[in-house]
Amino acid sequence: MARVTYRAPSTHFHRRLVLLGCGALVVMLVLFAQLSRLAIVQGAEFRQEAEKVLDRRTYLPTYRGRILDREGRVLARDQASYEVAVSFPVIAGEWANAQAESAARREVGGMWLELDTAERQEVIDRYLPQFRGREQDLFETICLLGNIPREELDERLNTIRRNVQRMAAEVWDAQAAAELARRGDDPATFQFDPQPIREQKIAHVVLSDVPDEVAFEFMMIAEDAPSMIEVRDTRRRENPFSEQVISLDCDSLPRPLRRDAPKVIHVTGVLDHTLGSIRDQLWKEDVDDRPFYDPRTRDIDLGGYRDGDVIGNSGLERVFEDHLRGLRGYIHERRDTGERTRVEPTPGNDLQLTIDVMLQARIQAVLSHEYGLTVVQPWHNNAVLRNGFPLNAAVVVLEIETGEVLAEVTMPTLAMGELMSDKQRDFDRPAYNRAVDAVYPPGSILKPIVLTAAVSERVFSIGDTIRCDGKYFPDKPQPRCWIFREVHNFMSHGSLGASESIARSCNIFFYTLADRLDMPRLIDWMDFYGMGQRLYTGLAYEVQTDDGEYITAGEAPGHLPSDADVTKWKSTGEYTFTNLIMGIGQGPMSWTPMHAANAYATLARGGSIRDATIIQHDPRGERPQRIPSRTINKKAVDEALDGLRRSVVENFGTSNHIRFADTTVDDLFNAGGVTVWAKTGTAQAPLVDLNQDGEIDELERKSRLDHAWCVGLVGPKGSDRPLYTFAVVVEYGGSGGRVAGPIANQVIHALQDLNYLPDDGSKPPPVNGGRGYGPDYDLYSASEMEADH
Amino acid sequence: MSQFITSARTTRFTASGLHDDVRTLHRQGLRFFNAGWICVAAALALSLLGFAAISTTEPAYAMKHLVHLMLGLFAAGVAAFPTNRWLQRFSYPLLGLALLLLIFVLIPFVPDSIVHPRNGARRWINIIVFDLQPSELAKIAYVLALACYFKSHQSYRTLRGLFIPFVGTFIPMGLILIEPDLGTALVFVPTFFAMLIAAGGRIWHVVLIIVMGLGSAPLMYPLLQPHQKDRIMALVAQTSGDDRYVQNIGFQGDRAMMLVGSGGFAGTGKEHAADLVRFNGLPEEHNDMIFAVVSCRWGALGAIATWGLFLLFALGAFVTAATCKDAFSRLVPVGLTAVVLTQMIVNTGMTIGVLPITGMTLPFVSAGGSSLISSWLMVGVIYGIALRRPRYMSRDSLKFADGESDE
Repeated sequence: MARVTYRAPSTHFHRRLVLLGCGALVVMLVLFAQLSRLAIVQGAEFRQEAEKVLDRRTYLPTYRGRILDREGRVLARDQASYEVAVSFPVIAGEWANAQAESAARREVGGMWLELDTAERQEVIDRYLPQFRGREQDLFETICLLGNIPREELDERLNTIRRNVQRMAAEVWDAQAAAELARRGDDPATFQFDPQPIREQKIAHVVLSDVPDEVAFEFMMIAEDAPSMIEVRDTRRRENPFSEQVISLDCDSLPRPLRRDAPKVIHVTGVLDHTLGSIRDQLWKEDVDDRPFYDPRTRDIDLGGYRDGDVIGNSGLERVFEDHLRGLRGYIHERRDTGERTRVEPTPGNDLQLTIDVMLQARIQAVLSHEYGLTVVQPWHNNAVLRNGFPLNAAVVVLEIETGEVLAEVTMPTLAMGELMSDKQRDFDRPAYNRAVDAVYPPGSILKPIVLTAAVSERVFSIGDTIRCDGKYFPDKPQPRCWIFREVHNFMSHGSLGASESIARSCNIFFYTLADRLDMPRLIDWMDFYGMGQRLYTGLAYEVQTDDGEYITAGEAPGHLPSDADVTKWKSTGEYTFTNLIMGIGQGPMSWTPMHAANAYATLARGGSIRDATIIQHDPRGERPQRIPSRTINKKAVDEALDGLRRSVVENFGTSNHIRFADTTVDDLFNAGGVTVWAKTGTAQAPLVDLNQDGEIDELERKSRLDHAWCVGLVGPKGSDRPLYTFAVVVEYGGSGGRVAGPIANQVIHALQDLNYLPDDGSKPPPVNGGRGYGPDYDLYSASEMEADH
Repeated sequence: MSQFITSARTTRFTASGLHDDVRTLHRQGLRFFNAGWICVAAALALSLLGFAAISTTEPAYAMKHLVHLMLGLFAAGVAAFPTNRWLQRFSYPLLGLALLLLIFVLIPFVPDSIVHPRNGARRWINIIVFDLQPSELAKIAYVLALACYFKSHQSYRTLRGLFIPFVGTFIPMGLILIEPDLGTALVFVPTFFAMLIAAGGRIWHVVLIIVMGLGSAPLMYPLLQPHQKDRIMALVAQTSGDDRYVQNIGFQGDRAMMLVGSGGFAGTGKEHAADLVRFNGLPEEHNDMIFAVVSCRWGALGAIATWGLFLLFALGAFVTAATCKDAFSRLVPVGLTAVVLTQMIVNTGMTIGVLPITGMTLPFVSAGGSSLISSWLMVGVIYGIALRRPRYMSRDSLKFADGESDE
């Protein structure tokens, strides 16, 4: 048997061949290892990833939820609509060039490459007029069907061109900078090749809210020229009650304005601060917070954001964005098999408010300058502002039992602000929702609350009196009572009981109570009534500052001194004076009209805290309830309400009447069939620069003006407990009784007109614990009450 | 042979008799059952694999591929025809012609109809039937010329003697780089090393050059084109799991790897592979990225089979070289195999994510007339060498004394 032996390659060349072969095999082993990793170890993962593209989803827009008022009236809704968009190449005039070149290429065929540039352009130029003509025909058709003048269309097209060019320049700059940084090339020699951005390829809207029949015409055109024009289904947000025509009676107005014929007032922007707005430009943080597609997890959130989406921008539309937004639907198509499944969009949820839009609109009409109560009138006795000067104001109406807000009106509205000049806008600041987001010192409207604090803390007993001699300190001019002035012959109130001190709004009485309470306890009681903290009525939202911190906006908390402030004032000697003036609602404290109404509602409920809300069945769940830190004395409540009632019904009450230049008087509250408890207040405001004629002249600089308050309660005639509370503030309006009082009176008329206060014919509720109002209380003549507090 | 000798001794010499004798001698100098068939079989299998792979997504290109295959077979037949002596004689002129064509495509005023730039590169000459890529021809001419040089000079075994082969390598490389076509240009380097090693060049020279090359690579980086830097950056990012570039500069590599992986072990089948490739938007799927299609359709098995066929091709070429005796016949199959294997390694390496993306076809498999025909030209040359028996009584070439060996 022959022996088989292995013979190694004997020559040098053969050994080199083996060496090369081995080298190749080593390289192949590396490749094999990588192939194994991809196809075997991670194969399933890659397959899953690759197959994702076989599933194509076309997303269907969702409907945003409606916002309803307390009666179910639709305040905001999505309305189906059409919009017409023209492709950017057409807008930029590039479409005709591209089409002409295509036509030229088709004509020349395979010889195109052999033509030089000039010859090619010659052929293109033959076709160019034809396509330019089509562009112009399209624009003419848009004007004709869209019923807009050609100049307007040109302006829109120019705006689109400008915006897209600016956007492209920004994108290219950013891309070039990123590319340069990435490559580390010399900036002097670096060349960037900009590619068209998305906006330069897509269609842009030139007509919105296109009616169905016109949209149909455009659809026919789009079928013939799909590269030129698109007709899109769209939804626009509409607020059906934003504009209303309100007829207001004028027979209950102060006499100079009184007339028999009602006044028809056109109100705009009803509830526009509250409802807010949406925007169709997404910000980076919107997408970061809830991306439609998360590149890290590769998940899709049907409610997430991507280009073209709308998002709540302000007001309730912003706060309840997640609730209102809804989820997209989609058509799922398997691209390899053609299978299609359709998932309908999930509409956003409705949001029902506690607000009555009819009451809101009516009160807004009351606040309109046209009605006359929010412009300076002769009886205002305004020493600074000229007659007819428009005033800004806010009104809040609450249902006491539930804390539900029936109306929160702020003037001017956003819609009115859009018509203002920049200067006027700077002064009037229409973006502010004065009802919940602007703070004012409370002034004398705080006095009933201070009384309940003092009685509850046992520093004052019902039945006790405090003497008013005009000045608090015999040897110091300040602080003093409002009546202790030259214009009133330096009069004083004498000895006063609690309810009368409210009715007369005696400062000395409440300085005394504040002194007895001492500042920390006073602050605790203001905190109990909600001052210095957000009520979270439904308009507060988180917003990120430039520093990256989140702050709460939309509702102001108001202000109360901190422990540090108290300590500081003790060391600087300001403590005593500050403590005293806080007793009359001045000094380092402020709140919003919503706080004021809420505090009076708390008072009317006997201290039961049920903070104001504008949302019925808040989808975010129950609000955290404030825990009462104090127990209110019920007798103190009765006494405070008695004082409020006497303020209205006693002729020495500061809420009883207004006096005109001819010494005649009008009842401040003249609605029949109701019982009113009220307190006016004239709160010192920080010095302000005025602008009455377009220029802030020297006399207008640092003007001393007061904010006018009137806060109260109202119930049907004969009831002993009120149903509603109202708070009126007129910014820099001056006297609370003269300026805010007549507005409060019209608010009550509005409640009556809308049947919130049915006249059951019963007797008015007893005041003063049934003691009645004897002549002892009538210490001063009505004329002395003119400067009401 | 013994029959011929006997016959020569017993017959009279006549002119016709001498003709007959020469014909008989030539006939008996050909060996029809040779290792070249292995190369032909492997190349044919790869070409048909290419046809099937291309037809996955581009049936029209697949039919063109068949036409090009026919042309390639014809070209291979023509290339197999000349004897080694003829090939050697025309090696340098052929390289000269290739260099002229490489210069021609770079001349700016040549009409676009003749040299039509694509993506900014001037690589193709329109010869109606297909676009001729001079760099493909240059690769073959370079191998022939270098083999011819190594056969006639032994100075390459000294460092100084490597200068001329180096210059001869860098001239076509430089012209191809200017086109620009980095992928094709880089093929010359491994080919040079493979032929130098096979020719008996000193291993330490090779190692020294490679080390110096690698050492100077960072210095060369700034000279790269921006898109070449992008591809390297994309590969580095991809390897380190950074997906920042998957939607731009790393898109092609990312898609290719995903499709290779999605084929799994046994593949997804034709229809599904077509859908996956099409809807994932893999660029150049019938051309440079054909290996991704192969892997997706037939899985790792298909990929391994493809590599196996290339190794079979290399085996055939190496056996051919091993059975030859003269230096030229030995070095040409090695050089051409180095060209094919380098292209295969770079192409499949970039497809599976171990090398940066570069424009390089997979020989025999990718669509493209120039690539396929030039690949078959190589097969023809190898087969022509395999077909011819070494000259009787010729002695082994490339033999060096043991002391001179570096192994």
